[in-house]
Amino acid sequence: MKALITALFVLAAGSAHALNAADYQVGLAAAAKAAEPGFAGFSAQRGETFYRSTHGGDWSCATCHTDNPLASGTHTVTKKTVKPLAPSANPARFTDVDKIEKWFKRNCNDVLKRACTPREQGDFIAYLLTVK
Amino acid sequence: MKTLLPALLIAASAPALAGDHAYGPFPANYVSECGSCHVAFPPQLLTAPDWQAMMNVLDKHYGVDASIEAKPRAALADFLQRNASRRDKHASTVQTPRLTQTAWFRKEHGNLPAKATRTLPAAAQCESCHTAAERGDYNESGLKLPAGFRHKER
Repeated sequence: MKALITALFVLAAGSAHALNAADYQVGLAAAAKAAEPGFAGFSAQRGETFYRSTHGGDWSCATCHTDNPLASGTHTVTKKTVKPLAPSANPARFTDVDKIEKWFKRNCNDVLKRACTPREQGDFIAYLLTVK
Repeated sequence: MKTLLPALLIAASAPALAGDHAYGPFPANYVSECGSCHVAFPPQLLTAPDWQAMMNVLDKHYGVDASIEAKPRAALADFLQRNASRRDKHASTVQTPRLTQTAWFRKEHGNLPAKATRTLPAAAQCESCHTAAERGDYNESGLKLPAGFRHKER
């Protein structure tokens, strides 16, 4: 699945410009459609709920990234500063496929105890793109 | 000159010697991969078996998933092995390797707690006292000791 998303993203983004969050969503949308025949697009509202939910565990995305994705956060274990997550506040976010996949893998495991689905990832990015 | 040049090259590329408080600078991949959630710790402060044990379970890294793809992970593991300490005083005294739990660290850092308190940083928050720790520079000129810190346990 990961290889598929990456391949779809590469096809969608082409080489005309550097990757951004919207490009990465194109690949996620195709993967979400393949996984859920009824998939009808990403939702920033669902993404915000996802961002703030603890998903049955101790942590949410907001635990380290704060309630406001425009703000710097603090790693809950090490107390090291985490730069803002929203691309409008930190243009370096979602510009490197390896980094995107590395952090989704790690953080979904930490917060949800499982991998995130393509729809969850796309909703999450949709929310972050609305925060300005 | 013939003998001086190789000597200079060795000096430039050799890992810092323990005791001079200058452990870095570290390679860019080490800082970016091992320095995003915590300061990039000096590889010289744990032994090779300790680093290997840590790198074997990055998906369960002190309570968080810090997994890294096989290829970049191999490069980091190699860097750690080449620069690890060979001294017993840098061997972790607890089963899950911690560079804050070695004979050397405890001797140097007295009453620093494992978890931050109101007055003291956690032992692993190097940068809170060693202000140039990001660069691997632990020289005393950059040291800012918190009130309440005791160098030795009473």
